[in-house]
Amino acid sequence: MASAVHLDGITKRFPGVVANDDVDLEVERGTVHALLGENGAGKTTLMNVLYGLYEPTSGEVRLDGEPRAFGSPRDAIDAGIGMIHQHFMLVDPMTVTENITLGNEPRKWGGIAVDRAGSREAVVDLADRYGFDVDPDARIEDVSVGEQQRVEILKALYRGADTLILDEPTAVLTPQEVDELFEVLDELTAQGKTIIFITHKLGEAMRAADEISVLRDGRKVGAVDADATTQEELAELMVGREVLLDVDHGTAETGEVVASVSDVVVEDDRGVRAVDGVSFDVRGGEVFGIAGVDGNGQSELVEAVTGLQTPDAGEIRFRGEDVTTASRRQRIDDGMAYVPEDRQERGLVMEFGLVENGLLGSQHGPELASNGRIDWSKTRGHAEAIIDEYDVRPPDADADAESLSGGNQQKFIVGREFERDPELVVASHPTRGVDVGSIEFIHERLLELRKQGVAILLVSSKLEEVQGLSDRLAVVYEGEFIDVVDPDETTEEELGLLMAGERPGEDDGDGGEPEATGGGDADGTERETPTDLTDAADGERA
Amino acid sequence: MSDAPADRADADSAARNAEGDGFFERYTTRALVAGVTVAVVVTLLLAGLLFPDSLAGTLADALTSRNTLAAALRLSVPIAFAALGGIFAEKSGVINIGLEGLLIISAFSAIYVADVTGGVWIGFAGGVVASTLLAALFAVVTIGFRADQIIAGLAVWLIALGLAPFASQVIYSSPNTPTVATTGTITVPVLADLPFFGALFSASPSVYLLFAAVFGSWYVFERTAFGRWIRASGENPKALDTAGVSVTHVRYAAVLISGVLAGMGGAALSLDLGQFTGNGPTMVNGKGFIAIVAYLFGNYNPVGAFLSTMLFAGLDAVQTVLQLQGIGIPRQLIRITPFVVVILVLALVGRTRLPEAAGENYETED
Amino acid sequence: MSVTDRARSALSRLVDASATERILISTAALVLSILIGAVLVLVAGRMTTCTAGEAVYYFGTGFCYDPVVVFDRLFLGALGDPLSGGWSPNGQFAVTLRETTLLLFTGLSVALAFRAGIFNIGTQGQMVVGALATALGVLWASSLVSGVVGTVVLIPFGLLVGAVFGGLYGAVPGLLKAYADANEVITTIMLNFIATGVALYLVSGIFKDPESAANQTVPLPEFAQFPALLFGGRQDFSIVALGFGLLAVAALYYALEHTAFGYDVRTSGVQPEAAEYGGVDAKRTVVASLTLSGALGGIAGAMYVMMVLGTFQTGIPAYGFDGITVSILAGNNPLGVGVAALLFGVLKSGTTVVQFATDVPPQLVGVLRGLIILFVAMPEFFRLLARGLPGTGSRPEAVATDGGTAGDGRGETDE
Repeated sequence: MASAVHLDGITKRFPGVVANDDVDLEVERGTVHALLGENGAGKTTLMNVLYGLYEPTSGEVRLDGEPRAFGSPRDAIDAGIGMIHQHFMLVDPMTVTENITLGNEPRKWGGIAVDRAGSREAVVDLADRYGFDVDPDARIEDVSVGEQQRVEILKALYRGADTLILDEPTAVLTPQEVDELFEVLDELTAQGKTIIFITHKLGEAMRAADEISVLRDGRKVGAVDADATTQEELAELMVGREVLLDVDHGTAETGEVVASVSDVVVEDDRGVRAVDGVSFDVRGGEVFGIAGVDGNGQSELVEAVTGLQTPDAGEIRFRGEDVTTASRRQRIDDGMAYVPEDRQERGLVMEFGLVENGLLGSQHGPELASNGRIDWSKTRGHAEAIIDEYDVRPPDADADAESLSGGNQQKFIVGREFERDPELVVASHPTRGVDVGSIEFIHERLLELRKQGVAILLVSSKLEEVQGLSDRLAVVYEGEFIDVVDPDETTEEELGLLMAGERPGEDDGDGGEPEATGGGDADGTERETPTDLTDAADGERA
Repeated sequence: MSDAPADRADADSAARNAEGDGFFERYTTRALVAGVTVAVVVTLLLAGLLFPDSLAGTLADALTSRNTLAAALRLSVPIAFAALGGIFAEKSGVINIGLEGLLIISAFSAIYVADVTGGVWIGFAGGVVASTLLAALFAVVTIGFRADQIIAGLAVWLIALGLAPFASQVIYSSPNTPTVATTGTITVPVLADLPFFGALFSASPSVYLLFAAVFGSWYVFERTAFGRWIRASGENPKALDTAGVSVTHVRYAAVLISGVLAGMGGAALSLDLGQFTGNGPTMVNGKGFIAIVAYLFGNYNPVGAFLSTMLFAGLDAVQTVLQLQGIGIPRQLIRITPFVVVILVLALVGRTRLPEAAGENYETED
Repeated sequence: MSVTDRARSALSRLVDASATERILISTAALVLSILIGAVLVLVAGRMTTCTAGEAVYYFGTGFCYDPVVVFDRLFLGALGDPLSGGWSPNGQFAVTLRETTLLLFTGLSVALAFRAGIFNIGTQGQMVVGALATALGVLWASSLVSGVVGTVVLIPFGLLVGAVFGGLYGAVPGLLKAYADANEVITTIMLNFIATGVALYLVSGIFKDPESAANQTVPLPEFAQFPALLFGGRQDFSIVALGFGLLAVAALYYALEHTAFGYDVRTSGVQPEAAEYGGVDAKRTVVASLTLSGALGGIAGAMYVMMVLGTFQTGIPAYGFDGITVSILAGNNPLGVGVAALLFGVLKSGTTVVQFATDVPPQLVGVLRGLIILFVAMPEFFRLLARGLPGTGSRPEAVATDGGTAGDGRGETDE
């Protein structure tokens, strides 16, 4: 029997780059196939070829043994391929039913009116058939991310998809939702659907897939049976060398408390507590890390500390002063540096050149401007120094920020913030989307600052990063600190459990400092939590 | 499975309840404004009943006068038509700030065509065609060439503002046209003699056309697939695109419809008087901009936009009636009340939730 | 910054591809608008009647209006016919400079707001408020001083009054935007209508000049108006006012490019989230830039009163809307505003020449204004033209390789 999907020698070139180089991929009907690789390894490009978004430079797509050429996603959809994008293609103010039937609405009265009862019935039937839990009448904006994802899957099934491509489906999900998703995938394959699952998380690939193909630099470097491999093997395939970053950070000589957060609460737009009563201190010369699955309140906490959001309750002190409601500018002037999570929205003005970007945050400061007048020659020198020292390429101070690659953008931001001569550095996912060489460089710089007595608040969803760099490590789950531990005394398994919201029980021997606050309802699902060696819930944007 | 229908009925009513809650949450400020309006009107009417000779009495008279309703309806026609047009365009993701220009061009063209052909309704059609053509230009510029929608809309306004008086000057040697026949009045016997509401049954055909257009627009958005596509195109064009519907086609259609509707408004405006006046801001005089506020305040709902238009037009109509009765509030100040109300309403309501992708150009993937 | 550094950075700005492209697009938009205007003149010429002797003939067809004459009058007429001898600065040329002066201020007003990411359509209203305030303020103050001292004191005073009141009127939509999230496009349009209405009410009522049939204030004394230096024959233009205008161009350019405030404004304009990250107070910047923008509009009003009319009269010409065109044509760059204001000064002044010299309705210039804005708004159109036939062009952006756009989140590990 021919494979459900067979990509035969796919090569896809773009001007200047080869995104896919002679990739073969065979997926059997009724199986889950994981496509594993780092950001930029060519996974999404390959799937866009299958989905008809790109035409391959060479090679052939075969479905059930028959060669197919797709001119557009429309052709692919007609051939039974559905794609669930990382960013959902849903219309927020419309209902679940309206979204699922969009573009293929059942009609009545000679096609004039939408058959609303019929639409609803079709959706309910479909959901029942695959055992999906969705409310057909709820508006998308009112349902959880997990349910939105199920709606996306139903949308593809409604259009008759046999093969589903899921692009990084777990990046936005809570651990429970990940479990639910994997159950859904089981149900789908049981009913004969074929699933291709793009991911860079080893644990998930191993849990969910039957077979795993690994891509690196656009080439397929291996295909393994999920039951017969180890995380170490996969990691080495993915990166091409030993990946564990062994950072020797020595012991910390901690100084005064630089920043102090007590009982901070931050509500999101809907009034839900994104940060729910968090307290901690950061001392000079220490790295205080915050680990956790993305979306558990880290962003809101960081914005409250850096002055981009005002907390709804609690107090933030910086260098002894209450700065809870202080402006962002005042915090910058007082010596708070901030490497933001979103470099293209916040960290850089994309239309500006690097000279002007080097000024961001210092435009009122004494270094580069005086009496409201900007000293452009100093500012240029400043930008050139950052470019030089942090190896920003191309080394052109007049290049627009948007012309730089993500890694170089990040190096420039890191340089600008680290050179502020700060008392506190807040670094949010400082190495997201950055190449391995730059990661090591940024880590070294961070530890240098620490040695100089700077206080560092590090937030990252990369476990090995926070674990390797932090002196104390808090684990955040649903807006609360589950525990604060000594990272050297804690195993990845233990951290994984904490990240899943499991509170330390009687077996509390990991030297955690009893500073964790709040006592919410930890979810007690007993399961192997994935420990993702290269978990970089990535910063790719469509 | 036998009790599925019952389940569904439950779910249905639950959904309706949820919608109701959402309605009150979402529209509190609007509900407040509506409530205050009703309260003021009722108070005035009561006070007028009790003290017929006071100012309140006069105002109450003005409010309950059949003429007031008739005038409000007449004033509403161009604004409400333009507002409906604006809803179509903006819901699809194209902010059409050039409605004023569409009204101007159709107001002039309707008179010109009526003058040349002698047919009032041919003139009406001529106005609609002119407006639709200008809307088509706007569509090509914004959708085809991805121009900034606000600036292009402004250009549409300025072009019409220059072109209509220019043409009038060329053809009639004056920015004002001569008068032509008007659309006249349709009167329903008996019902037209009702107090106050009689105005509804003795009105220009364009008033009835407006009612039809309000209902038609509501139907399109709530009940047809095309209406859903328009919404999706404005909220998340990529979702529509991946569902296999061309965003470009939907947006072109929506902008053209906005041209047709605004054209009906402009034609109705000038044919109601039988003349186009093109001095200064022309006879349209900001109605296109009030239309924008009307649909924003009506939250993109055709019926809501019509009601808020009636609110603005009613204010203006009461003012006219008071004028006739010689009440001494300076005319110039009453003229600006709708604009002041708009500012106050915006200050209270603040951000109206624009369609997510409104104002953004969309590029297809392939 | 050394002189060579300065020169180098100026040069780098000049050869900046996007700046060059912008100039090209503005020029192309202008040329195309004039071409369409010419066609319009021809078409209009077919729709009106004239004797065979008056008609001109193109392509074997007779037209009542001659576009060549129209544009000759429009441009050369506006410059006072420099080619035909007997040129005098007191003629139409002075009118052109007068219009340019006013457009400099309204253009800068719109440009400043635009740079902060705010679309100020309210310059017209701010100008009306500034003009009325100046007329009333100077009228009051002129009873206190007189003569040359009066001129020296009253002109700065009048400009200040105009700036303050225009600024306050500009602050209203600023505050509404910053604190009530009200769309400034709508509020400024409404405020235009309100300014005109209230001014009409005041000037037709309590502040009306009892001697005049028009709705206007009592005229200002001669010494409270701009002196007519160099252009002695003209009462309605002063080189001093133009000097102020050029000073404003330079000042705004400096403020935007070399001060922290300008940096805040520009950053908020292109990327508000990044501005906030960089310590810019978004709300304050919105209010400050709209206030300043209003002040510039108010100064335009003050100039109009103290230089052109000598009184406040209702029906102030649409300099505010022309300011939008000027700013858009200039790419919202203060230096560009200088050039665009002169160009529009020519167009506005030429309108009257066209009116006298031909039968073509002067509203033509209004149409040109709209067309220019339309074309400047669609750079994509010219890029296509430049690339050859429409439809053959490929997408200009580098193609995304892995779900992102080029240069977006791609580290060196990328393919």
